[in-house]
Formats: sequence, C-alpha cells, structure tokens
Amino acid sequence: MAEILSVGIDIGTSTTQVVFSRISMDNLAGYFTAPRIAITNKEIIYKSPVYFTPLRTNILIDGEKVRDIIAKEYKSAGFSPEDVDTGAVIITGESARKENAQVVLENLSNFAGEFVVSTAGPDLESIIAGKGSGAYGYSLENDLPVINLDVGGGTTNIVQFDCGETVGKACFDIGGRLIRISEGRITYISESAREIAASLGIDIMPGDVAEVSELRQITDRMAELLAQATGLSHRFRTRELLEKIRTSGSSLLKEDFSPAKICFSGGVAEYIYKKNEGDPFRFGDIGPLLSESIAGNEAFGKERLLPAKETIQATVVGAGTYTTSLSGSTISYSPGIFPVKSVPVLKLSRLECEAVEKGNEDLLRDKVVWFMEQCDTSLIILAMEGPRDPTYKELTILGSTIVKVLDSVLSKDEPIIVVTEHDIAKALGVVMKQLGSGRRIASIDGVKVEGNDYLDIGRPLMNGLVVPVIVKTLLFG
Amino acid sequence: MRLDTTILGKSYSFRSVKDVLAKANEEKSGDILAGVAATSDMERIAAKEVLSNLLVRDLRENPVVPYEEDEVTRMNQDSLDMDVYNNIKNWTIAELREYILGYDSTEADIRRLGRGLTAEAVSAVTKLMTNLDLIYGANKVRVEATCNTTIGKRGTMATRLQPNHSTDNVEGITASLFEGLSYGNGDALLGVNPVNDTSASLGEVLRRLDEIKRTFEIPTQICVLGHITTQIEAVKNGAPCDMIFQSIAGSEKGNRAFGFSKDTVEEAVLVMREKGTAKGPDRMYFETGQGSELSSDAHFGADQVTMEARCYAFAREFHPFMVNTVVGFIGPEYLYDSKQVIRAGLEDHFMGKLSGIPMGCDCCYTNHMMADQNDIDNLAFLLGGAGINYIIGVPTSDDIMLNYQTTAYHDIQAIREIQGLHPIREFELWCEKMGIMENGRLTKRAGDATLFTTLRR
Amino acid sequence: MIDEKLVQLITEEVLRQLEERNFDREKRQVLGESALKDPLDPDSLARMKKRTTARIGVGKCGPRLNTQTLLKLRADHASARDSVFADVDQKVLDRMGLFTVVTDAGDKNTYLTRPDLGRHLNDEAVQVLKTKCVMDPDVQIYVSDGLSSAAVEANVERILPILIEGCKGLGLKVGTPFFMKFGRVAAQDQVAEITGAKITCVLIGERPGLATAESMSAYIVYNGYVGIPEAKRTVVSNIHKDGLTAVEAGAYIVEMFQLMLDQKASGVDLVK
Repeated sequence: MAEILSVGIDIGTSTTQVVFSRISMDNLAGYFTAPRIAITNKEIIYKSPVYFTPLRTNILIDGEKVRDIIAKEYKSAGFSPEDVDTGAVIITGESARKENAQVVLENLSNFAGEFVVSTAGPDLESIIAGKGSGAYGYSLENDLPVINLDVGGGTTNIVQFDCGETVGKACFDIGGRLIRISEGRITYISESAREIAASLGIDIMPGDVAEVSELRQITDRMAELLAQATGLSHRFRTRELLEKIRTSGSSLLKEDFSPAKICFSGGVAEYIYKKNEGDPFRFGDIGPLLSESIAGNEAFGKERLLPAKETIQATVVGAGTYTTSLSGSTISYSPGIFPVKSVPVLKLSRLECEAVEKGNEDLLRDKVVWFMEQCDTSLIILAMEGPRDPTYKELTILGSTIVKVLDSVLSKDEPIIVVTEHDIAKALGVVMKQLGSGRRIASIDGVKVEGNDYLDIGRPLMNGLVVPVIVKTLLFG
Repeated sequence: MRLDTTILGKSYSFRSVKDVLAKANEEKSGDILAGVAATSDMERIAAKEVLSNLLVRDLRENPVVPYEEDEVTRMNQDSLDMDVYNNIKNWTIAELREYILGYDSTEADIRRLGRGLTAEAVSAVTKLMTNLDLIYGANKVRVEATCNTTIGKRGTMATRLQPNHSTDNVEGITASLFEGLSYGNGDALLGVNPVNDTSASLGEVLRRLDEIKRTFEIPTQICVLGHITTQIEAVKNGAPCDMIFQSIAGSEKGNRAFGFSKDTVEEAVLVMREKGTAKGPDRMYFETGQGSELSSDAHFGADQVTMEARCYAFAREFHPFMVNTVVGFIGPEYLYDSKQVIRAGLEDHFMGKLSGIPMGCDCCYTNHMMADQNDIDNLAFLLGGAGINYIIGVPTSDDIMLNYQTTAYHDIQAIREIQGLHPIREFELWCEKMGIMENGRLTKRAGDATLFTTLRR
Repeated sequence: MIDEKLVQLITEEVLRQLEERNFDREKRQVLGESALKDPLDPDSLARMKKRTTARIGVGKCGPRLNTQTLLKLRADHASARDSVFADVDQKVLDRMGLFTVVTDAGDKNTYLTRPDLGRHLNDEAVQVLKTKCVMDPDVQIYVSDGLSSAAVEANVERILPILIEGCKGLGLKVGTPFFMKFGRVAAQDQVAEITGAKITCVLIGERPGLATAESMSAYIVYNGYVGIPEAKRTVVSNIHKDGLTAVEAGAYIVEMFQLMLDQKASGVDLVK
C-alpha cells in the first residue's frame, strides 16, 4: 500500500480555498497474477476556511495576497510544499482567466510542490465540481443519470453523469456575484448580467439603487436559463441568450438527458438546501436571491433534488481528490524520466494508429512535425489506443516505427514518451528499448486522452509499478 | 470383527476397517488416484458384504484418523450421545440401513439416531445404499436451522443467490443480485464469493448486501465467503454480516491446509454472537466437497466419502445455518463424470442429514469433466426429491468468477413447481409483495431486474 | 485558403466511422443472447449489463431459459470442452519450431484422472530433452497444453518471442524451448533437473471457463527440483486477450526472471 498527499487549490472570482487529501493505493491483484494497482481510498485530511479572493481590480486576482493565504494554509495544515505529491490549482471566474492564471502561476510556483500544476478550463471545472459534490459517486453507485450544477460567484458549471460516466458538460456565466451591491447601491454588473437584464427590459447601471423586486426578476430569469440549458424546462425560447452567456471554451450538454437526480454545489447552493433568512444583500451580492430563485423554480423539482456532500467546497475537494489517476500497472520507463509537466499530447486516430502499426513512417513523421510546429513544443507525448492483443511481430513494427520517427524528429535530449489505452505498454517499452536509440523512453498504458489534451506524469509510485497521471483539457500561460 | 469373505467361490480379505470402507465405496476417480479403491467390481461387493456385517461399535472404535492425532476425530468421539450409542453399538451396518429405510423409524427416531453415530458409521451405511435409498432415507428427515429466517422446513426448497463478479465490483454484484431476486432466488442467502480476500473489500460488499437487504426488507441472510480470518476481521471492523463462512475438510491437517482450526471457528461463533447482524442462533456456513483432503494430502489413506462424512461431524459442533457440498467443483481426478458426481451429491446430502446438519448442495461441474448441464438438472431434481434445504442460483448457470457451471436462477422454480415445493415462507410472501410470485408461480414481471432499480430511486 | 490538414482530418473521421459500422456488422454473431422483453426501465437494464459479464437480463419462458440463451450457453460449453479435449494444432508448434515430448499420462483421459502421471517424463523423453536442449541455461522456457489447447494456440506466438528476445536483451542464456503434451505444472521440476536451468518457466493452458477458453498461465520456479514445495512457484495467470495480453505478460515475466536471478528465489521467497 502507498499513500500520496494531494492538494487542491480553488481560486475563484469570489472565494479561495485549499484542501489536503490523502490518496491511498494498493495492489488489488491476487497473488497469482500481474499487479493491478488502484486507488483504494481518498480521505480529506484538511480543509481551509473559505476566503474571499483578494482582488486588485474587479476581475484581476491579487497574486501576492493569494500567496499569503496559501502559505498560511500550508502552515495550518502542517505541510510544506515538498510534502505534496500531486494535486491541482483551479482558477475559476467569468473573465480574465488567462491573466489570472498567469498571476497565479507566478505567485504560487513555490508553493505548489513539485507536481502541483495550474489547470483550468470551464469543462474540467464542471467535471471536478460534479465529482467533489458527490453527484458522480451517486450516479456511479446507483446506476443513474445525475446532473450537477455548481453555481458559483461568476459561473455555473454543469456536468451530466450517466452511470458514473461523464456524458456532457457546459458552463454559463451565471453566478451570485455577477451583480454586487454595497450600501444599498449596485456597484458592479457583469456583461452577462447586463444581457440577462436587457432581455427582461431592465436597464441597470452601477450606482443605481438596488431594488429587490427588480433583482429578483433577474435571478428568476437566471434560474430559468439554467433550467432551459439543462433541458429541464421548455417554457420559452432562450437559445440566443443562452449562447450569449455561455462561457467561452465551454462544451455543449447532451440533449435528451433526463436526470434522475439534480445536485447543486457551489457557494450559491448552500441556500438551495437550507432556508435563506436575513438581508438578501448581506453578502454584497445577489447570491441569496439567486438561490431562492433556483429553489423556487419548478423545473428543479424537490423530489429530484440530491443533497450535495460538498457545496461551496465541491470544486476544491474535487480538485484535490479527483484529478489524479493512475497508469496501468505494467509499464516501462527509463529511470529519472518522470515527472513531466504539461506536455502536449498528439493523439493518433484509429486509422492513423493502424497505419503506424503497419509501419507507415511518413504519415507519423508528417503528423509529429506538424503537431510540434502547431504547439511550438520540443517535447510531446504520442498517444494512441494501441493494438489490443498484438503479436510480437506487430509490436516490433509499431515500436520501431515510433522510435525511428521520433528519433529523427525530436531534439537530442528529449525522451520518447508513448501512452496507450490498451494494456501493452511494458511490452512496447521492451521492444522500443531493444531498438536501442540510446534515447530515454517511457511507455505508459491505461491512459485515455483526447487530442488537445496535456498530460502531467508524476514520479513513479508503489515500488515503481505505476505513475500518477493528470489529464488536462486546457492550459494557458 | 470379520474382515474377510468369500463370494461366488472367491475369497477376499481386507487389512482394516479403513480398507473395507475404502473398497466398499462406489467407484470414484479420487479413490483410484489415492490408491485405496477396489480393483474390481467383485472386490467392491465383497467389501460391502464385510462392511454390512461390521458393528456400529467397530466403526466407532476404528476411526480412519487416530484420536490422538486429530481434533476432528476427538470432537466427533467426545460429543457422541452415549445413550443413543449404547443402544445401537451392537447393530450391524446392514441393520442400521434397514432401520433408516424401514417404516418403523420416524423422523424423530432418525434425528436421534444420528447423534449416536460417528462419521465412519455414517459413511459406512451410505456405502450400502443405492441412489434411491439415499433419496428415500434423506427425505424422511428434515433439519431446520434459524438465522434471520428458518431454513429446512418440510415443503420448502431454498436457494443461495450467488451474484459473483470477476473483480468484486459492487455495482456488477448488485446487477446480478437484482436479477436473481427477480426470479425468486435468495431465500437461503445472498452470498458472494469474493476475488479480493481483504477485510476492506469484504466489508464493502457486505455493506452493499446489507443495504439491499434492508432497503427492500428482504427476509434473508447475507454473507461474503472470504477466508474465515478475514471475515472475522471485517466483522470486528464493523461490517454487517449474518453468517461467517469457511471451507472445511475432514481432518485437522486438511483444515490447517485451509488455514484454520477448531479454535478459529470457535472465535468466529463468538464474534458473530457479539457483533453479527443476524438474530440467530445459527450463524455459520460451511462448504465441503469429496476429494479436498486428498488434494492437500490430508486423507490419511481413507476414502473420500468417509473423509466427507467427517466434515459433517466437524460442522455439526458449530450449529451451522447452512452446509453444502460443492460437489463437482474439484475436477475429474476426484469425480470423473456425471455418474460419480450425481452419486456423490446424493451421498453427501444423505450423510449431512444423518449427521444432523442443515444440508444444501452446489450441483456443479467444471469444463474438464465428463458432465454437462443435463446432468446438473438431474442432480438438482433428485435432491429436490430427497428434501434438500437449498441449492445455488447464478445467472443462467454460468459463474463468471469461479469459472464453473451450477444451477441457474431459472432452475429452482421449475423444481419447486413440479415437486410442490415453496420458498421459505417469509420470502415467498416478500416475493408476492414485490410482484415476483403469485400462486406458487413466477409472475409475468418476474425476471426483470429493473423492478429493483426503479424502486431504488 | 483550404486547410489541407483539416480536410484530411475530416476524411479520416468519415472513413473511421464507416469502418466502425462495418466492424459492428462483422461482430454480429448467429448466437446472440435473447434479451428480456419489456423491462420496466430499459436504460437501467442496459446499464446493469455493462457492469458485469454475467448473463443477466435474459428473460424466461415459464420458469425456464429462452432458447437463444440456452444455445449460447451450450455453444460456450462446447467450445470450452473442445479446448480441453483437442490437441494443440501441430502447425502452430511447427511455426514456433517446437519439438514435442509426452508425459507418462499418454492419453487425455489418463491425463485428466491421473495428475501424478502428467508430472512425469519417462527415460525416453528425458533422453530427447538431453539431446535436443541446450544444457545449463539461465532460463528454460517451454510450453504445455495443460487443460486448454486453445490457450496455447491463441497465445504462444505472442508470448514466446518476447520472452526469448527479452531474455537475450538481458544477456541471459536461454534454453531450447519445446512443447510438452499432457503436462501438469509440476513436470517443470523434472525439466529443471534435466536441463540444469536456473529458472524454469512453463506456459500452460488454464482450465477453461465459459467466458474464455484461451487463458494461459506461466509457472516459474528458481532452482527447481522434483518435490519442491508449491509455494516456491511464481505464477502469472489470466494471460489472454481480455486479461493480461500475451505480449504484456511476456514483458512482465522477463522482469520477474531478472528479479529471481538477482534474489536467487521464486514464489513466496521472492520479494516483488
């Protein structure tokens, strides 16, 4: 058995949080067969308080103050950056993602441990929040279609799970802090909130008096938009408006998806589950109003409501515990090759994969050269489904094609890294090493990636049997 | 004590009671492999003749494994009901057979008789029985036991629902389990053979079985059949569990090869009394099978039927709720073909009943045996007639984890209907409430596992 | 301007989809399992079937199995039995250049009922091995039918070359591979004594189940001798296309060899 320490850091438009969790893994294979290492337990061992994210402007994060928070929390948890094996920093927010990511990368690189990385993108956030909220686990255990809406300050991240499988994800600029209020007056209104207000014929500007009835109309419309987006309501056509407020880079949800359970996470979700009392503007935003509007929308009927295991902390818990997976347990790599971080993945299609298996060097070379130019990178990971049950001969052709091409294209010091879905990595590694280019080689399986993905592969664990893998769908900076 | 005989002008003599027992056995490949079998049919009949004239006391005084060397022998000898024994010790085995089959003995008589018989005597009389004798004799007796519900009542035939999965995936187990329940299986037990023998893994499966049992208010028992020590650990760690299971052998050496002893079982009984989730009092489950002692060289030169009888002598000391022989699992080197498997199934069931334990049977075969599903249909049906407590149920007869075939979810109800049998009463009522059974038959809706998934939402 | 890469990608995707459609058609077999008619929740049933390879959701006639389900079962059983009772295709052995020795079992029925005979080679067979095999290798690998000839036919051409090449890659002296008919695992102990191999590895067919008849195991022993305790064997089981693939098993076993030579041990004595 082995344990790794994972950190999750969520820096949102409104809040910032840190969790530490311990991920246990063990060899599940019987004595009489090859090893099969799997994650056996995930335990959250430390949760920070929820901080308001320090901002320099309305949208730009104050990197130094964020760093202070993280430093303080590492200390309170009793860990130093070197203790951390894996994890993820998630930067959420309706705008300035790229700029904020840069700020975070600059300020947190010392704290993030060797393997912690900045990663984000609305789709991944949706999935992570759905896992952290418990919606994923419920869907998996009960064989049911479940939808999770993580309603935060700036965005609502939506994910559809069917039987524990992610079948759709999307993100909309709907959130509790899109309109901010101070001393009875509106101080900020986001672009998307303005669009939504305009669709109702309401024209509000910063400096206006905050009218509950007017703002409630807006939050009611926001709730209705979420119901429309998730296919739960068809009361009126909002396709155009929905397109306008879709977060850039977001995917589309699966149509004809009928969830058995609906789960809400995120800061706004708190008051969907419990009664909202007191001044609606006590947090200086429309969060409480939005949660009332969602709770009051019939489309999200109470009988289908699934209580979230985590609400405001769903994303950070998800980031800390669900972003890391393990490779297959029979793999091959040169000593010292890992960790690698944020390496772009060249995914071969099935057809290309078959061509390479038949020894088509030209096709592979063209593809690799083109990809490296596109990504402006010197290091790539070559990914493919791989043959399922190859003969030795087939394997040697595949191995030698890869080695010949990459050896001629990669610069001198870069390693050859191949990942496959099917369980062939150790054999492929042996074959590639025997071809003896002298270059460092890694062959890892059990990893499913898509084109446009990036991979982090961490230090080997469990006596070198497996490596931790983080698949990232979008990267910036 | 006479150990020789002359039949049709030919003389036969035997070295010992153990030798007589072995050679009187119906032909089994395992006895041939062990080198203890009769070398001809005539020698077999000669041995039966000698055996028929031995006295009950001869069998008691010549256990096949010495008292000093073996705790199974000691337990069996020391716990014998001496009043009963003294009444019958001078009976010949022939007389014993005729008493069991005769109209004069009642069910209560035979139940009482069993308490005065050592395993060797139980084995001896079995060797003089034909297959129909074994069915007729066994059918005279019912052995009831109570865990959450009571098994073995006359007119009932139950199943252990065995929703095994090749990686212990709880959702996969649940899917098979719902399928089985929808066919009215599972009144004896919801019991999984695990792949991973760790207390954490057993606990995970147990918790799921418990959740399903409670959610749907199923009147039955749950168990995950890991090693006895792992199960004890799981229960101590708080896993819900109605019964603890162990595979047993007919000698202390055989049990040690399985990694436990009498003390281990005693600990299990205590743990279950304190921490088990069943009402009880019967909270143990054992499996046996002819030939297992030979495979661990723990047979002491005895035949496999006698060693099997000794398993039941061991089992009865712990008041199990269920005991079953996994009759065709061990392979053709012990039971060669369907003829031997069917014979062994009938023998084991009869011996279990006579020993006073609540007996079931896993009517099964492996793919390297001379047997197929037709033979297993036969055995299950014959055992229904013999009044067996339960058989096994798996999806369509194919167990994807143990890689063998046993009775299907579809089999029990056919046998029940033909032989006028019913599930355990509470369970039948539950099936009716769920819309699975009606008037002793499966309903149109039966066989739809989604009955449970729709309710679970 | 037309992005040629894009055109190429789209073309490939269309081709791929067409190909998948053809693939599905080929996969459709005569004996499918009949499905339950009108389940309350068809989606839920489909999900459950994804969770297990057990034959669930099959429906019934009266209390009994539907005909398709029954015939599929019988077909799978027949296939399993064929793999027990048929001999390994000589062409496969010829392609791999394997000569054959036969144990004392002599025929299939004796083999099935007398495990002791399947563990022993007579003087003649011993002589053949002594003449044809390289003596005192670091690793002696051989193939045996065990309980499934189908396992040998499906896997041997995949696993044997990578084992041999892998050993050579480690600079090990590899013995002459051969085929042993009617062999039990423990026959490897006699092979170890005859060849004087440091490591003896038998690739042997497992008892077939209904799901697959093609599963192979590798039993590996360091410094084997007749009568060595079973616990001293290292086993790698479940080698077949849906389990541990043959080439991958081969690469894994080569590492085991190295580990055994380093530690001079196998089985429970080996620290993995």
